Amino acid sequence: MSSSSDSSSREGESRSKWLDAHYDPVAGLNTLSSCIALADLHGDGDFKMVVGDMGHGPYNMKLKVYKGTARMSENALLDLPTGVAAFLMDQNEPRTPAIAVASGPFIYVYKNLRPYFKFTLPAMEVNALEKEVWDQAKEDKIDPVTLKEMLESIRDKAEIPLSVRSLRFLMLELQEMEAFVNTYKQQPLKRQTVITCMGTLKKNMADEDAVCCLVIGTESGELFILDPEAFTILTRVSLSSVPTLLDVTGQYDIEYRITVACRNGNVYILRRDSKRPKYCIELSAQVVGLVRVQKNIMIGTSHETLHGYSQKGKRLWTVTLPASIMTMSLLEQKSRGIQAVLVGLKNMEVHLYRDKNLLSVINTPDIVTGLCFGRYGREDDTLIMTTQGGGLLIKILKRTAQFEDKDTAPGPPTGQSIKLNVPKKTKLYVDQTLRERENAVAMHRVFQMDLYRLRLSAARAYVKALDASLAPVSSTMQEPLTLNAAVQGIGPQFKLILNLQNTSVNRPSMQLLISFLYDEKLYKIKPAFFKVPLLVPGLNYPIETFVECCSDKGISDIIKVFVLREGKSTPLLTAHINMPVSEGLAAA
Amino acid sequence: MAEEQQEVVPQESGLRKSRVQKVPELPILERRNWLIHLHYVRKDYESCKAVIKEQLQATQGVCEYAVYVQALILRLEGKIQESLELFQTCAVLNPTSSDNLKQVARSLFLLGKHKAAVEVYNEAARLNQKDWEICHNLGVCYLFLKDLSKSKEQLTLALQLHRQDLSAITLGKIQLQEGDIDGAIQTFTQALQLSPENTELLTTLGLLYLQNGLFQKAFEYLGNALTYDPSNYKGILAAGCMMQSHGDYDVALSKYRVAASSVPESSPLWNNIGMCFYGKKKYVAAISCLKRALYLSPFDWRVLYNLGLVHLSMQQYASAFHFLSAAISLHHGNAGLYMLLAVALTYLDDIENAKSSYQQAASLDQTDPLVNLNFAVLLYNQGDKKGALGQYQELERKVSALRETSTEFDPEMVDMAQKLGAALQVGESLVWTRQTKDPKGKQRGAGKGPGAEQAPLGSNQALGRAMSSAAGYSKASGLSSGITISTVSKHPSLPLEPEDPSLTSSTAPDYRRGHS
Repeated sequence: MSSSSDSSSREGESRSKWLDAHYDPVAGLNTLSSCIALADLHGDGDFKMVVGDMGHGPYNMKLKVYKGTARMSENALLDLPTGVAAFLMDQNEPRTPAIAVASGPFIYVYKNLRPYFKFTLPAMEVNALEKEVWDQAKEDKIDPVTLKEMLESIRDKAEIPLSVRSLRFLMLELQEMEAFVNTYKQQPLKRQTVITCMGTLKKNMADEDAVCCLVIGTESGELFILDPEAFTILTRVSLSSVPTLLDVTGQYDIEYRITVACRNGNVYILRRDSKRPKYCIELSAQVVGLVRVQKNIMIGTSHETLHGYSQKGKRLWTVTLPASIMTMSLLEQKSRGIQAVLVGLKNMEVHLYRDKNLLSVINTPDIVTGLCFGRYGREDDTLIMTTQGGGLLIKILKRTAQFEDKDTAPGPPTGQSIKLNVPKKTKLYVDQTLRERENAVAMHRVFQMDLYRLRLSAARAYVKALDASLAPVSSTMQEPLTLNAAVQGIGPQFKLILNLQNTSVNRPSMQLLISFLYDEKLYKIKPAFFKVPLLVPGLNYPIETFVECCSDKGISDIIKVFVLREGKSTPLLTAHINMPVSEGLAAA
Repeated sequence: MAEEQQEVVPQESGLRKSRVQKVPELPILERRNWLIHLHYVRKDYESCKAVIKEQLQATQGVCEYAVYVQALILRLEGKIQESLELFQTCAVLNPTSSDNLKQVARSLFLLGKHKAAVEVYNEAARLNQKDWEICHNLGVCYLFLKDLSKSKEQLTLALQLHRQDLSAITLGKIQLQEGDIDGAIQTFTQALQLSPENTELLTTLGLLYLQNGLFQKAFEYLGNALTYDPSNYKGILAAGCMMQSHGDYDVALSKYRVAASSVPESSPLWNNIGMCFYGKKKYVAAISCLKRALYLSPFDWRVLYNLGLVHLSMQQYASAFHFLSAAISLHHGNAGLYMLLAVALTYLDDIENAKSSYQQAASLDQTDPLVNLNFAVLLYNQGDKKGALGQYQELERKVSALRETSTEFDPEMVDMAQKLGAALQVGESLVWTRQTKDPKGKQRGAGKGPGAEQAPLGSNQALGRAMSSAAGYSKASGLSSGITISTVSKHPSLPLEPEDPSLTSSTAPDYRRGHS
């Protein structure tokens, strides 16, 4: 047994509750909870496990029977099994159950592991117009092209969808149509649906070995209850969506409740005498698992939550799970009358919940996809798990195992005991505080004085800049210009790009010049003087020049750019360019 | 046709081979839907995609459900545009299904095309009249289109069709946006009946009651929220804030420790922790927590206010001045800020600016007598008895107004005011003597004259004692006008609640500080 062995207390506890009976990581079982059944197939008190194996891809679908740790037999299946159920069909002795395997539109019934009977779902109603059209085609009254057009018009309007034949026909190329029509026109037109889920319902007695009806849900959104002997449909209920999971309790002849999870995220509760669902639970997420525990319904959703609902559809509680749910199953320890829910999670754990209380956690070596709890072999409380990788795990619940409801209040969260990260006071801090207390007035005055000075010098600099047009935005109304500059390159050659723009509404600027002021020991600019073309308002004029850094000492300087009007020495505007340090070596 | 021959038969070869004996059965389009659905709800998207691919190949792309789930998976993977196209394909395959249209609309919604989404939802609503999901999503779309009335209409409709939390929460948020707090409370309470353990609902309701001043109810809801989720950040902050205002600093701190471990970078949290330490007279710890809060949100004037307050208590008047003036430049309308600034300025010997700051505080404030008291004391100490008297009368007016609403007064403030009244020879005024109610120790006035001997600068505890023991108004004060008195008021701290909209600034006249 190679369960991951951490020394956490919870794990140790769960290990003490379960005996590891068998683990085969390469059993090659690809199956679901709904396709595992435990049954006393030979009436000898030795319970076997019947597994509908989905194989790999579209092949190798098998019905396997396990006895103990070994595979006893296997039968080939023709299609993917949707569900496997063991049920007693009749009162005959010995009381050996039959196996029902739902697959596609059929239920295959095996007795003594031999094919015994095949039930086919009743065909659905065919669109009358469609039938008429095909009848005409049968009598060669219409050619395939007309047929196609008519079927298309039916498809777009009809209430009843088209049959598979028509849909397939509509996809064909023109040259294939004739052959297709010839092949199929003699066949009766039919519409078939498939089984999506299956369950069993005791007929008229609550005994363990009572005769059971089969309950099946179909893709057409219907629910059938089948008579176990004649396989006639006893009851037929329409649902507003496709059923995905079923849970059935009660007896057919007395009173029963069927809980159905549907693909639209709703769970419906049906009763014996109601033709329509009696209650409806609307969930905001899809249902992954549905288990009825006594009078409550436990629903696992794809939002990683487990909800408890009353049988009238009222939410009782919600538990958030640490990972997404893979599958759910009921754990019923009959000897003690314990009922709980097993939840297989994606984080390789199986949680056991009684109501909202987590009873125990089982760590598994792989993600569990199939769960089944019940009598296996001669052991009453056996847990069968199949994993995503095809493994088979069998555990036995110890007879001494006690499940105690842990205190639901988790106690104070861990954060409460962590000390707050508050820094200690340092000597420096205390000294500074003392200094401030003693000299608060003086400090304040000095600060205010310096602030005045700072503001004064800032204001002066600003006025000076305005006066001398040192700013990159011209302040005169006659020549509203802006200039910005960019330097490209890593040196010693830089490219200087000046973007000059006339921001006036409709006055072009003329007769402007650009010149530079720079340290001639440090930089060479060529050309260092431009005549600016006529500036059309609103357009951006990029003017480029090259700057060469002559120093290799890694120093940089400011280059000033002046925009001047012809004949005036005061610049209209000035830009200061902080040159980057030349990273390349100056050319010799 | 009862032969067990439902295997997938490739079209062409199958046709030729079996034409003689029997016609091959066409595979049912929906036969793998249950498996696709199973893998989808288990979030086993890889297997799901494999099955979908296989199924689409077998049916040449007309299996509606396979396309539908593929689109759902694509959307989960963030490929919204691609999923939208697939949903549109589904809508073509089955134009009568409202589910397909709903998903098309959902994808449009996720792409931010709310108007287009509304159109498609309306189309879906024509197919299915009584779907709360359509109504809810329409409501959300209208919310994004800023059409609040239509949004409310749709959400109410959704709630009528099916009562669930989601629509109720959205509806409540809209009502809050419109300022309809009572309506929002009603909506949330109804939603809570459906899911009594929803912590978001519980905290939101708690905060709403807190805003309305119904502390008992607020505490009840917040407590419930914390029972279900002991590390709920919002709940902790709000509950802690209430504990703080009742002086339960240790309990509040233990709650904050939980929040600090889960949300360590929250400015309101550190602000509240800081004020807890302040309440416990651990001023240095308070300052370091408040500075952390300030670092995390530098433009929060409430943190600056608290820092100013703590520095005043630490007698660091120059620092206090900086924090308070920073707070004022971020937030103009708070009288308390101006008053604290004036107190700081008084200690910094800048009487002129202190006066104008008091003036501003007095003009902003309508109810707090503390402002006028402090101002009157300052004026009195400056020898301006007339001005002091004016402020004192204003104080009397406010006190008498407050007494009607049975507010309790701080004993130190009462004491100070009585002494001042005596000094101004209006002491026989009956304002305070009738005051018999046991006052809460929330606001403590502490006066200290710079002329009188300074409290020794010792440990923080000593300082705290010095501050709270109200060393100030000495016996001499009534006799000699040369002694200056002023009250330093410890204003009630401002614990921050998360998303506190009540502390929005009222429009205040732009105040130009004279000491710039």
